[in-house]
Amino acid sequence: MNLWKSKGFGRLIGAFAASLMAPMLHAQTPGVSNNEIVIGLFAPLSGPLVAYGVDPLNAAKMLYDDVNAKGGIHGRKIRLVIEDDKCTGNELVGVVKKLITVDNVFVLHGGSCTAAIAAAQEYIQREKVPFVMLNAAGDNAVFPATRYMFGSFQGTQRVYGSALAEFAVKSLKAKRVAVIVHDDDYGKANLAAAKAVIERLGGEVVAQERIPPNISDITAPVLNLRASKPDAILSGAYPAPAVLLAQKYGEFGMTNIPLLQSTQGMPTPSVYAKNVGNPDALKNLYHTWSFSDIANEAIRARMVGMYKKSFPDREPGPFMVTGVPSALAVIDTLQRMGRDLTREKFVDAMEKLNLTADVMTGPLQFAPGRRDALRSVVVVKFDGKTQKAMPDIYTWNGKDGN
Amino acid sequence: MYGSPSTRHLLSLLWLVLAGFLFPSWMPEYFIYIMNMLMMYMILAVGLDIVMGWSGQFAFAHIAFFGIGIYGTALLNMRLGIPFLLGMPLAALLAGAVGYLIALPATQLRTVYLALATFAFSECAQWAFRTWESLTKGPDGLRMTAPQLFGHVVTNDRDAMPIIAIILALVLAATFYLWHSKLGRQFHAIRDSEHVAMASGIDVKRTKVWALAISAFYAGIAGGVYTLFQSYVHPDGLGVSMLVLVLSMVVVGGSGSVAGVGLGVVLLGILPELLRSAPKGFLIWQEFTYGAILMLAIMYMPKGVWGLWQRIQQGRKA
Amino acid sequence: MGTWNLIWQGLASGVVTGCVYALVALSLVIVYKSTDVVNFAGGELVMIGAYLGLFILLGLEWPYVALFVMVPIGSFVLGGLFTRFSLDKVSGRAMVKHANLVPLVVATIALSYLLKGIVRVIPFTEEVRRLPPLMTGPPIFLGDVVIQQQDIAIVLVTTVVMVILWLFFGYTFVGKALRATSQNIRAAALLGIPVNLMKLSVWGLSAAIAGIAGILLAPKLLMTPDMGTVVMLAFAAAIIGGFSSLPGCVVGGIALGILQNMVGIFISPQAIAVTPFFVIMLVLLFKPQGFFDTTLAVKKV
Repeated sequence: MNLWKSKGFGRLIGAFAASLMAPMLHAQTPGVSNNEIVIGLFAPLSGPLVAYGVDPLNAAKMLYDDVNAKGGIHGRKIRLVIEDDKCTGNELVGVVKKLITVDNVFVLHGGSCTAAIAAAQEYIQREKVPFVMLNAAGDNAVFPATRYMFGSFQGTQRVYGSALAEFAVKSLKAKRVAVIVHDDDYGKANLAAAKAVIERLGGEVVAQERIPPNISDITAPVLNLRASKPDAILSGAYPAPAVLLAQKYGEFGMTNIPLLQSTQGMPTPSVYAKNVGNPDALKNLYHTWSFSDIANEAIRARMVGMYKKSFPDREPGPFMVTGVPSALAVIDTLQRMGRDLTREKFVDAMEKLNLTADVMTGPLQFAPGRRDALRSVVVVKFDGKTQKAMPDIYTWNGKDGN
Repeated sequence: MYGSPSTRHLLSLLWLVLAGFLFPSWMPEYFIYIMNMLMMYMILAVGLDIVMGWSGQFAFAHIAFFGIGIYGTALLNMRLGIPFLLGMPLAALLAGAVGYLIALPATQLRTVYLALATFAFSECAQWAFRTWESLTKGPDGLRMTAPQLFGHVVTNDRDAMPIIAIILALVLAATFYLWHSKLGRQFHAIRDSEHVAMASGIDVKRTKVWALAISAFYAGIAGGVYTLFQSYVHPDGLGVSMLVLVLSMVVVGGSGSVAGVGLGVVLLGILPELLRSAPKGFLIWQEFTYGAILMLAIMYMPKGVWGLWQRIQQGRKA
Repeated sequence: MGTWNLIWQGLASGVVTGCVYALVALSLVIVYKSTDVVNFAGGELVMIGAYLGLFILLGLEWPYVALFVMVPIGSFVLGGLFTRFSLDKVSGRAMVKHANLVPLVVATIALSYLLKGIVRVIPFTEEVRRLPPLMTGPPIFLGDVVIQQQDIAIVLVTTVVMVILWLFFGYTFVGKALRATSQNIRAAALLGIPVNLMKLSVWGLSAAIAGIAGILLAPKLLMTPDMGTVVMLAFAAAIIGGFSSLPGCVVGGIALGILQNMVGIFISPQAIAVTPFFVIMLVLLFKPQGFFDTTLAVKKV
């Protein structure tokens, strides 16, 4: 292979040369020209977390395409620079640095993995570039809130943990609650919020199991859960351990105890059910969900139709819709801003976001000192075949778990 | 090969330092960031080469020592206010000391058991980074305060580059001296045949221990360099994939020479950048591509690209 | 339902998972004994076996029994190909047993990334998948202890495989030829044993065993391209057993399976992840020859 002639290398040199001229263009706002707004869009497009990244990124892209088809925003079309952050801190930081200093994007829109996003936080604060998370839960990067980082468009782990806790104690009348989470940042936040809510409502946390994310034999933790004689089990597990948990809980005859799973464990509920394999284990299963497409079929059909217009060859999974709210927020903010676009004005305008979209279970809101957009979710009962949304909307009070 | 390092080699280091001071003034920050990464990888790769290439031992614990260097330098700065020029050497010495302690029992093992033992140590270290939350903030990751140097705070890639260039130059100079030194020759001797080495009067065990300890020290320095231009560290980044990347740099570039290792660092360091421009459908083939490159390199270029280049040169002379 | 119940359940489950670790450990040991190579791609061979099984079962829709025939054959071919094209090239078809091991081990690392990469490209593998178990049905209760029918299947299959291998190595001509090759390659060659074919067979056999472990393990573990990390547990099991013998693997595997559960119950589930590595380090530190040694683990230098 002749390295010097390869296309990629040529593009690199081209970008390098172009970026040398960038200082001359800095007189105006980066990423904004008379007829164009440049947005850096990124997510894990390869590696183990690809299921959390590809469909949601495509969903965001489809919304931007839709806006462009309708004439753009105040006369400007949106141009995307798409990158793969591989869900690792080092890669995400590299991608962000490239998007800012080489591609000169106006704002950053991306990231499905909170730990990776946290790695870039100090840099974007220093460079004063607005960062809108794609679909990451975001706990570590939005608490404490910092000026330029906006996120949690489908809710934080605090929201999921407290919603399931409240549902368990109030609707299922549970007094003794067991919690099983991973020993990482998501798990910590989830557990803290759930614990605070359970205790506030007069319940008792009878077991707290913290398991590694790549656990393969879940026998011991489930035995501990069983020994604690709970009225309900809350789980913040990721997809593979979540299935193992449901399987073991079925094997040990615990299926009369309601099992409440946070969203990240079941990106595709039908696959989850098939993997668990045991219908008995699913008879008391609930999970959180931040969108109204389960309660309302028409909304789901609309989203899928829109996706297929942009990507006719790919069948979207249910997780696709998680890419929608952050894109809606960016588009709404740009529309509210008018023609005068600067990064600081974008931050101010985003901070005033108060967007109610029919696809979300609650309003997307920011405020001075608040950088997590969604605090309301619903709880869905899933028996392996059908999903049924429970009637109440659960809203985090902004304090539990902090 | 014996004697002192050549003037030519030392002069090239001077160019390196010069570049480190001049480049930041005109290069866009992203490319400076890439160069800082490459220089850090160079230190890691040379350290790995000393123990695996020169001495023929397995050293899969390399990234654990890298982690000790990072957390050590950062925490000495954050908790005790120790400035970088003192903190980094201390952290690197700590890494070297841990390497020495591990090496004492480990070098008694047969070569392949050493691979397993060092791998196991690396996983234990990663687990410790993750679980010792009071020290490392565990799974939340550690947000590092910017290091201070002579009262000046190093906050961005531009400021960091000249410093990293100087550190790399010093490390490479030390490597050249080591190569030509008695210890360096002992490293080479034990790789080819331990029995012959012993017969020549070399204390094989002691040599192996020093090889491991010195490579750990190098990894510790690379960890200190990391804190100069990165502001966040997370235990997940200190695992097997990092080790395999550095290993690939050594194998593909050419083990056993600084030039070879440097070539490997540049090739495999630039590769992700090239892949970025590839069509997005290609991204999912990345892991496979890395495996294929490593496999092909080890099969057809046992001395790396540098070795291939040298063979071609020699072929021309003949 | 007290602590004793936890312990008995932990023991029972530990024996079952231990059997699978023992199988994978065995695949690692036979390769090591013959070629001195530590196969870092062992876990990925297990993973390939599982996905191959899934394809045969769901894609081709052949009966479950076909898995136990096709997967070992497929894996055997894979192992043989790897040896013939990659390993032989790296070691130069030398008859030296102690050829420089670093490149060989690096080749196995490269293989693991290749296999993982190839599986990940197939879009089907994006989501976590499950291989249906061999034996389904209500669980069996021994007192308060729950045993799944699949668990019994695992123990049975493992036992059968172990017995077959023991007979093979002990009483068949090919088996004895393999043992001879692993003990003294030059002598074996002098006796007319085709040593390169033997090397190929050993790797193929090792891959086949790993494949069977894959189809036993996948129903319990769930399938992702990253499931190969189970290899570390197999290494720990092999080391406990001294990396040298069949019974050693079995005892090592079961001991490790039980230990994992006990650690999870009495210390914390967080400590489970680090247990195999701790075991590896401790055993190599204090008893490098394992508890069943038949060969030397400590160099005489």
